[in-house]
Amino acid sequence: MVINVKNLVKRYGDLIALDHFNLEVQEGEILGLLGPNGSGKTTAINCILSLLKYDKGTIEIFDQPMSPDAYDIKRDVGIVMQNVAVFEELTVYENIDYFCGLYIADRQTRKKRVAEAIDFVGLNDFIKFFPKKLSGGLLRRLNIACGIAHQPKLIILDEPTVAVDPQSRNNILEGIQKLNRQGATIIYTSHYMEEVEQIASRIAIMDKGKIIAMGTNEELKKKIKSGEHINLELLNPEDLDLEAIKALPHIISAELTDHQLVVKSGRDKNNLIAILDHLKDQNIAIGKIYSEPPTLNDVFLEITGKELRD
Amino acid sequence: MFLFNYRYRLKCILRDRQLMFWTLLFPILLATLFNLALSNITTAEEFIKVPVAVVENDQLDANPAFTTALEGTDELFAVQYTTRAEAEALLNDNQISGYIVFEPDLNLVVNQSGLNQTIIRGFLDDFLQSSATIVTVITENPTALDNGIVAGVSSRSEYLTEVSASQSNPDPIVNYFYTLIAMTCLYGGFLGLKEVVAIQADLSDVGARINLAPTNKLTVFMSSMLAATTIQLAELLILLAFIIGVLGISFGNQLGYIALTCVIGSLTGVTFGAFIASVIKKGEGFLTGILIASTMTMCFLAGMMYADMKYIVTTKIPILAYLNPANLITDSFYALYYYTSHTQFFTDILLLCGFIIVFSAITYFVLRRQKYASL
Ligand SMILES: Nc1ncnc2c1ncn2[C@@H]1O[C@H](COP(=O)(O)OP(=O)(O)OP(=O)(O)O)[C@@H](O)[C@H]1O
Ligand SMILES: [Mg+2]
Repeated sequence: MVINVKNLVKRYGDLIALDHFNLEVQEGEILGLLGPNGSGKTTAINCILSLLKYDKGTIEIFDQPMSPDAYDIKRDVGIVMQNVAVFEELTVYENIDYFCGLYIADRQTRKKRVAEAIDFVGLNDFIKFFPKKLSGGLLRRLNIACGIAHQPKLIILDEPTVAVDPQSRNNILEGIQKLNRQGATIIYTSHYMEEVEQIASRIAIMDKGKIIAMGTNEELKKKIKSGEHINLELLNPEDLDLEAIKALPHIISAELTDHQLVVKSGRDKNNLIAILDHLKDQNIAIGKIYSEPPTLNDVFLEITGKELRD
Repeated sequence: MFLFNYRYRLKCILRDRQLMFWTLLFPILLATLFNLALSNITTAEEFIKVPVAVVENDQLDANPAFTTALEGTDELFAVQYTTRAEAEALLNDNQISGYIVFEPDLNLVVNQSGLNQTIIRGFLDDFLQSSATIVTVITENPTALDNGIVAGVSSRSEYLTEVSASQSNPDPIVNYFYTLIAMTCLYGGFLGLKEVVAIQADLSDVGARINLAPTNKLTVFMSSMLAATTIQLAELLILLAFIIGVLGISFGNQLGYIALTCVIGSLTGVTFGAFIASVIKKGEGFLTGILIASTMTMCFLAGMMYADMKYIVTTKIPILAYLNPANLITDSFYALYYYTSHTQFFTDILLLCGFIIVFSAITYFVLRRQKYASL
């Protein structure tokens, strides 16, 4: 096992940031750690890395207990932190070289790895730039390069796409999948469910310092009651009897906003026909109809009773 | 690892424009300003010798060595030989800074304390020290006189004359440059602070990266501190070269001691900055603020802005004078400047070394902790 965390507890004064947090990460997977702001993702990562003191729990990486001077473990771990961590006074090249140099002493090897990292994040045209002169997206890419240049077996990325435009974001996500294909195990934290759905082979959903659900995208969605969302555009919504719709069998919820009726039905219970019949009886004309599969937000909503994004 | 980090830290410091301004350019600018503002003063009026009276009595006649010693310092003192009553009157009129009287021990009478009084006392201390040696030698070994053993000691006048002659001519301007150098030494704190911030995960994001690397943090830190000290010493060297070479200020043949003071002072500054950053858990801006405020307070108490402050502190709260690194640095310069013996100088240097050890030890114990309670 690459990471094995048991019963991790971390308090900040009265606040319990991690409340018996458990996590197992297998070799070769991309684990998405999804949770709203303040749910404890960064705290969990920092504890796992032995940066933060914690009150309780055991942490093993590569089947060995993790500690600040477990250099054998650290050599094979790469971290991309939530905050961009680079030296303002060093150029793109020098930054990558410096951080790579903390892991790899041999100059020849290092030169090769740095060049590969620069290629990987596509910063070839910017190697002489100072961080101040880089756009937000480029800076994020530099941050990633600094964390992975030494080609670690385990890569932990803490919200590496915050404040990045969609184009760069896709580049980064594809890059992460590429690293994974090259053999790295990945932990990826985010509060964007779309990102996690897109790249993670397994997803852990976190709230209030705990993992509240875990599994593949499909497994998670099977765990909940609600199935697809049916969206109907109503041309004369004022004639709608919302309560009658809700009373139909297998309907979990129905909401009307302006002309948009959203009906959530139980999983595998497609009620579209019944709904359409009912609307026809009420003489309600329908514009567009489309249906969406459930999202991780539904999973989160059903378990915690609140939205993932507020 | 050590050299690798050292080279990169040199780069980082040299490219930090703000830092380079305050630790290098600013002192050079101040030196230039001092020179512009003060050059008129010295050319117009010579160094004002310390006016001092010596009471003529039998005991004075019995101590010809003293008179000779005093004559050897005519660069420093304007001496009048008077009666006791006259001396008293002169002192009350502030015509003299103090008077010296044998009754039968050597006494200095002053009515205030200040720079001039310290200069006179320094001379008397010097004199007493070597005459005490003579007395001891004579009582313990009466034949010494005949054997000429005492010759070296009793040729006191020569010794004093030689030393004062070889010292640079007393020039009050030099003092301003000494305080400036002391300030620059303490500004080394900015460098020490920068290095601690760069390596502590709770002070900077890059610090977190360094803590996560498979390298010994203390090794990295030692190499960073060495880089900071290297730059600081290079900056002082440039400042000294500028003051001597461009501004033409002469420090005489005390240069070796000045260099020693600069090295020790710089280490005090650099370790002080590291100490501040390791004990106060706040952002870099706040730490810099604290560093500037404490350095300026120390400099103020050491008399950098108001020369008499140094004497007020030394006489009223002497312990504060010894606990103030800025005061110790300026004091060691004063000691070089005014005293022929180096006792005071080395006392100051030793105390500064004490500070370096304390600052380093505390920094070490904080940095040695490997996990953080909060980031
Ligand atoms: N240094 C600290 N002192 C006190 N409380 C803290 C500290 N750091 C984090 N917390 C608290 O711990 C909880 C978890 O924070 P953490 O940063 O781990 O969340 P996160 O899931 O990473 O959030 P985000 O998505 O915003 O990065 C939050 O409630 C936060 O307020
Ligand atoms: Mg976070």
